[in-house]
Amino acid sequence: MAEATLLSVENLSIALPRGADRAHAVEEVSLTVGANEIVCLVGESGSGKSMTAHAILRLLPERVSIASGAVHFKGRDIAAFDEAAMRDLRGGEISMIFQEPMSALNPLARIGDQIAEAIVTHAKPAPARETVDARVIELVTAVGLPEPATIVRSFPFQLSGGQRQRVMIAMAMANNPALLLADEPTTALDVTTQKQILGLIRDLQRERGMGVLLITHDFGVVADMADRVVVMRNGQVVEQGTAEAVLRSPQHDYTRALIAAVPGARPVGARSRDIHDAPILVAENLEKTFVTRQGFFRPPRRVPAVRQVALSLNARETVAVVGESGSGKSTLGRMIMRLIEPDGGVVDFNGTDLLALRGEPLRQTRRRLQIVFQDPYAALDPRQKVGDAIARGPMAYGTSRQEAMAEAKRLLARVGLKDNAADRYPHEFSGGQRQRICIARALALKPQVLVADEAVSALDVSVQATILELLAELREEMNLAMLFITHDLRVAAEIADRIVVMRRGEIVEQGATAEVFANPAHAYTRELLDAVPGRRLFAGPGSLLQATA
Amino acid sequence: MDTIRAFSRHPSGMIGLAILLVVLVLAVLAPVLYPEDPWEMVGRPFAPPLTDGFLLGSDTLGRDVAAGIIHGTRVSLTIGVTSTLAAVLIGVLIGAMAGYWGGRVDDFLMRVTELFQTIPGFILAILLVATLGPSLVNVIVAISVVSWPPLARLTRAEFLRLRGREFVQAAACQGETPLQVVLRHILPNAISPIIVTGSLTIASAILIESALSFMGLGDPNAMSWGFMVGAARTVIRQAWWMSVFPGIAILLTVLAINLLGEGLNDTLNPRNARSGRH
Repeated sequence: MAEATLLSVENLSIALPRGADRAHAVEEVSLTVGANEIVCLVGESGSGKSMTAHAILRLLPERVSIASGAVHFKGRDIAAFDEAAMRDLRGGEISMIFQEPMSALNPLARIGDQIAEAIVTHAKPAPARETVDARVIELVTAVGLPEPATIVRSFPFQLSGGQRQRVMIAMAMANNPALLLADEPTTALDVTTQKQILGLIRDLQRERGMGVLLITHDFGVVADMADRVVVMRNGQVVEQGTAEAVLRSPQHDYTRALIAAVPGARPVGARSRDIHDAPILVAENLEKTFVTRQGFFRPPRRVPAVRQVALSLNARETVAVVGESGSGKSTLGRMIMRLIEPDGGVVDFNGTDLLALRGEPLRQTRRRLQIVFQDPYAALDPRQKVGDAIARGPMAYGTSRQEAMAEAKRLLARVGLKDNAADRYPHEFSGGQRQRICIARALALKPQVLVADEAVSALDVSVQATILELLAELREEMNLAMLFITHDLRVAAEIADRIVVMRRGEIVEQGATAEVFANPAHAYTRELLDAVPGRRLFAGPGSLLQATA
Repeated sequence: MDTIRAFSRHPSGMIGLAILLVVLVLAVLAPVLYPEDPWEMVGRPFAPPLTDGFLLGSDTLGRDVAAGIIHGTRVSLTIGVTSTLAAVLIGVLIGAMAGYWGGRVDDFLMRVTELFQTIPGFILAILLVATLGPSLVNVIVAISVVSWPPLARLTRAEFLRLRGREFVQAAACQGETPLQVVLRHILPNAISPIIVTGSLTIASAILIESALSFMGLGDPNAMSWGFMVGAARTVIRQAWWMSVFPGIAILLTVLAINLLGEGLNDTLNPRNARSGRH
């Protein structure tokens, strides 16, 4: 498959500034990318995979430098290039796309102008305006954006996440690069969009015979995309080989662990969870429309987020609400938490109407319903010690400080953190550890219902697996009913007893997990199932469930 | 602790702090250095600096300029700090209510704030002092009335930003009352820019006080820098020292507070602090 070697990284080491957690971000890394092949660089966050990609373009942060080794592109040593030659290379022969397309685009410039800039910068002499405009339209069409003429006149905020990533790809393709570096290009997107973007990258790669270095933490993506795989851990390459070899017979334990962490790759455990038909939470006719004022003379913009949704949750049951971003699933969760006031409907919780409560009765009921948010970085107060964050809840309901702190320490130990965690601030913890803290905080009040709003979506696949395991244990210990909101069907399959599929504010399908996966009734559910990455290798959660059902 | 260490490495901030400390020491030591009343006529009028035992000369009535400046330090700092504290109190309260509750409360409070912002601050201050009568308390009232709107707007913006944050929602879910949520989670995370703006407000309060005294609207019993410049302005060609030295005092103090505020801004704002430490 690999033809001429396009890029070769030889014994590359990148030194970190003194005082960092390790001396080298990357140690003795060697890898090659040939023309017309996709190489996946896999590892958890902090493994040095992004640093390697940035070193290829000499875009390392200040005070971080290449300590030894070399990068050759088409046989030439990149270290020998002067800054002008590097600028020609970046966005010229080598292009890069990033994880977060919103922050990589200029919010104040029109899409068309931004793509045109990428063309003009590298074209000498500057081409005629009409030529550039035609090329922009051609690129926008090539990446599959609808109505190219409208898109080029739009601003980034008017596009969806997937559309923005397509724009980034169009910019990267502007000068027909020989090599594309894609740094977690789909991690911020939901599954269906991810599938489209990955498909687009693969099609473009085949058409143009590009080399692609795709950085990811998800072996599902690797299975769908890679010709060859390089696995990194703590700055070192632990294993590399053809995709088939690495995925089918991984040599290194770490690779095996990463593959096992892919949700849906594990066999589904016994599902007899002994749930009785005793609903503790029943929502009916929930309704929410967001209204944004647009100035004096224009009518307000109305976006219906949730339409006539009915949902019930039995004691001890886990219900997954699945859908793309914008489907209204988070709004639904927040309405049940009373963080967003619904426009209409009823939420019956243990026989009381939750939506009618105000003031003190509402506060008293709140402790029975807790939430874990998606982004563990935003969900903890940066100025509050972890122990206080957990103890505050019980203290607000009259537990003494000593007792609450003792309970907080016990909970921290239960979620797998060390004793001294209570006296530290959130910024000292990793994403996975913070999510454990958030779970401990939610459980400190001994809730009956836990709403997990994309609680594992911001985490690496391997961390995701451990958090899911923890949640599964805790729900048994504490007899929790859980409303698990996610865009990822693989994750839903891991934990849910019942699945509710939402689309554009409405429930399109619901049923027992095995049933939904085996016989999806709605076309949209089938679409979601098809979008799950790694189905080729892992056969997908549906068939696994089918096998056990 | 980190903030203090970072601040100690901020050169202009430290210069500001040093000047301000000198000014503070002078204010505290005023009765020791110049035990006599600064209004007392103690010697020959129009004595240039370093003559007749006058360090900075004497004024048109034979009063000691140096004594006036040192005692004026107390007046300027008292008025600057007190009126700023009052302005911060009003501004944070109004901004917090507007930002936390939003909706109609926000609309109403912001219209009131705009009402104050559209009237030129100094003219409003003159009007207030002229109506209420020139006394220390009234000058403080006038200055705080014109100083709170920017603080209210800032607090509102910070509250709006933080109110929707997940850790604030989490606190509400944990059963903390709205007051606890505001005091424990929103305010501590909003306090840095408020401190910075507050410190700069002290500087502008001192300037307003000087300008009011210059126009003869200061407390007639308090020796202040603005009054000294104002009284000496008619004889500036014959006796430059009477207005220049109080002017320098105003300049240095305001500059010091501005430097300090800038230093605080760089160290309290996490994004700046990180680049500042490199």
